Amino acid sequence: MSVTLEHEIAYLIGDCRVEDAEPLLAYLQSGTERAVDLTAAGHLHTAVVQLLIAFKPHVIGPAPDAFVQRWLVPLMSAA
Amino acid sequence: MDELLEQFLIEGKELTQQASDDLMALEREPNSAARIDSAFRAIHTLKGSAALFEFAPMTEALHAAEDLIGALRAKRLRADRPIVTTLLDCVVSTEAWIEHVERVERLPDDAAMRGLSLRRALLAHLALEDRPSATPPSDLDWVKSLLAREQHAVSLARSAQRMMNAIRYVPNADCFFQGDDPFAIMRLVPELLAVRVCEREPWATERFDPYQCNIVIEALSAAPLDELQRVFRFVSDQITVVDADLHGGAPAENSLTETPTGSGSRSLRVDTSKIDALADVAGELIVAKNALAHLVARTKDLDPALARAMAANHAEFDRLVGTMRRAVTRLRTVPLAGTFRRFPRLVRDIADKLGKDVAFVIEGQEVEADKTIVDGLYEPLLHVIRNALDHGIETAEKRQAVGKPPTGRVTLRARREIERIVVTVSDDGGGIDTVALRKAAETQGVAAEAASDAQHDTATAALVFAPGVSTSESVTDISGRGVGMDVVRTAIELLGGRVDLSSEAGAGTTIVMSLPQSVLVTSVMTVRVGGELYGIPLDVVAETVRVALDRIKPIRSGEAFVLRDRTIPLVRLSSALSAPIRERTGADIKALVVSSVNQRVALEVDAFVERTDVLMRPMTGLLSGMPGILGTAVLGDGHVLLILDVAEMIA
Repeated sequence: MSVTLEHEIAYLIGDCRVEDAEPLLAYLQSGTERAVDLTAAGHLHTAVVQLLIAFKPHVIGPAPDAFVQRWLVPLMSAA
Repeated sequence: MDELLEQFLIEGKELTQQASDDLMALEREPNSAARIDSAFRAIHTLKGSAALFEFAPMTEALHAAEDLIGALRAKRLRADRPIVTTLLDCVVSTEAWIEHVERVERLPDDAAMRGLSLRRALLAHLALEDRPSATPPSDLDWVKSLLAREQHAVSLARSAQRMMNAIRYVPNADCFFQGDDPFAIMRLVPELLAVRVCEREPWATERFDPYQCNIVIEALSAAPLDELQRVFRFVSDQITVVDADLHGGAPAENSLTETPTGSGSRSLRVDTSKIDALADVAGELIVAKNALAHLVARTKDLDPALARAMAANHAEFDRLVGTMRRAVTRLRTVPLAGTFRRFPRLVRDIADKLGKDVAFVIEGQEVEADKTIVDGLYEPLLHVIRNALDHGIETAEKRQAVGKPPTGRVTLRARREIERIVVTVSDDGGGIDTVALRKAAETQGVAAEAASDAQHDTATAALVFAPGVSTSESVTDISGRGVGMDVVRTAIELLGGRVDLSSEAGAGTTIVMSLPQSVLVTSVMTVRVGGELYGIPLDVVAETVRVALDRIKPIRSGEAFVLRDRTIPLVRLSSALSAPIRERTGADIKALVVSSVNQRVALEVDAFVERTDVLMRPMTGLLSGMPGILGTAVLGDGHVLLILDVAEMIA
C-alpha cells in the first residue's frame, strides 16, 4: 500500500498501483482543500493520476521521478 | 424596464433570428462548418445572456442546445433532419419566450415544463452519439487544437527543425482491468515535447469510479513514426499518430485559449486595474470564507443540526471560492516571455559598449507567472544581467589567456517548480573576487561584522547583497556604483521571492531567484509554538512527521534524526523564535520537514493546527526589515498570524 495519511496530507510513497486509487479517492472525497505529497512517489498509475487531475488537490513536490515531475505534475494543476 | 433586460430583448431577437437562419441552411447543407459555427455562437451568447436573468428554463434548454451543436461542431454527430428540427423547436420556443417577456417581464407559466421537454429532446440526440472513445475522430481538429495550445513546444521544435508527431491515445474505459497503465506507456515515448490530457466525460467527483479510465491523452513527440508504433504496439487500436507538420498547419494567433467545444476564439482586452479589483475581491472572499468556518465551528455547541447544515453550505462556498480564485489567478497569468524578450537587444548593446563578445541564451520563457511578478522581474534581472556582462564576463583576451573560449556566455533560464518559478542568470565569467570583495566591504565600512564573519567564499559572495558594496575600481555607466545587488534583493523580496548567489572563482557566477507563481493567496500550515500561532507557507512544507524521542540524536550543539535514509537536522522553532521552550513531555515530537533551496530541515513545533489559505500582506514600515518574517495575515477569528520566512530562519 503506497498511500498513507497523516495530518490531512496524503503521502504517495513509491510506485503507486491501480489499487491505490481507491483509498486516495476516499481521501479526496473526504473534504475540500486536500493535499497530496509526491516527494517520495515513484511511478503513478494512470488511475491515480486521473484522480489528481479530477480533484486537483494541492500537490506537494517536487516528485523525484523525472517523468512524473516534468509531464504529469503540470497536468494536475492545469485548469 | 431594466436597461439590461431591454438590451437582452433586442439582442435576443437578433440571435434567435440568426440561429434559425443557420439551422434552416443546415438542413440544406448539413456539412457547412460555417453555419454550425454561427449557430453555435448565437446559441452560446443567448444562453449567456439568459443566465443573467432568472430565466432558468430558457438557460437550461439553450445549454442543452449548445451541447448538441457542440457535438455537431466536433463532428461527433451529423446535422440530420431530426436534430435540426429539435434545435429549431428550441429556438422557436426561445423566441416566443422573449416576446412574452417583452410584454409582461417574465416567462410564461408553462415555461418550466416546456423547457424540460425541450431539454430532454435535445439531450436524447446526444445520448445516441458515438462515444468519442469508440471512434477516434477521423478529422484532424484535435491536431490543430493541440498544436495551438502547445505553441511554445511547437515553435521550439520548429526552430530546431525537428520533425513532430502528434499522438492521440484514447484508452479503453476498462483498460485498467486489462492491466493497461496508459502513463506507463507514455513514459516510454521517446523525445516527448508536450503532454496534455482531457476528460472523456465530465468528472463526476461525487460518484467517481476510480477503475474507469476517463482520460484522453494527447502528446507531441519528435520521435519517428516507427519508434512510436513500437511503443504503442499493444494498444494500437487506441492510438492515432499524425505527422503534425503535415496536418497541423500553423497555429492561429488567437486560438491559444480555444477549447474544442469552447465558445470560439474571441478575446477581450481588459484594463489590468479591473482585474486587480476583481483579484482583491476574490482575496477578501477567501478571508471571509475562513471567517465563516470559524463561525460554523462555534455553532457546533449551540445547535449541532444547524452546524451540520452550515458546514455543508460552507463546503460548497469553499469550493466555489476556490474555483473563483483559480479563475482570477489564470486571468493574471502571463508567460515570462513578456519580460525576457526585452533582453537580447539590451545584452547586445551593453556587450558592444563594453567591447565584449557574449552569447546570450534564454530558456523557459514559456513559464507563466502572475503579471506583477513578470513585470517586476525586469528591473532586478536588468541589474543582474548588467553585472554579469560588466563584472562577470572577461574580455576575449583575458578569457583566451586562461584557456576559455573567447565568447562569453550568459544564460537566463526559467523553470517551474510546484507553485513557484525559479529564474537563474548564470555566466561563465571570472566569478566573484572574494578577497577584493571582503576588502571592499571592510574599507567601505559596510557590514563590517558580516565581512569578518564571512569565512567561506560563498558567505563572502553573499556580501554583494549588502548595500553599498562594490569591487569595481571605476564607476562605469553600466554598473559598479555599489548599488544594484541590494536593490535586486529588495525587489525580489517585495515580490515574495528570494535570491541566492553562488560563485566559483574562474568559472562564473549564478544568481538564483525563486518567486511565487501567483501573488493572490498563500496556503499556509498553522502551527502552535510557545502558545502563539505561526504560519508556514505550504509550498516549503515537504511533510509533517512525528519523531520518537529516542530517534533524535544530538549532533554537536544541534539535533538531527534519520528519515527515510536521510539525516535531517532538527531545529526547535521555539528557540529560533526566542519563545519560551517547552519541556518535551510525550514519547515523540511533532515537526515539519521544510525544504529550502537545496536542503531539508525539520522544525519542531508544539502542535499542528490546520492548513488554511490566507491573504498575505508583506510587512511594511518599521517592521519591513524584520528577519525571519515573510508577512502577516488576518485569520478568520481576527487574530493576526505571523508568516515565517523559513529559508531565512534556517540559513
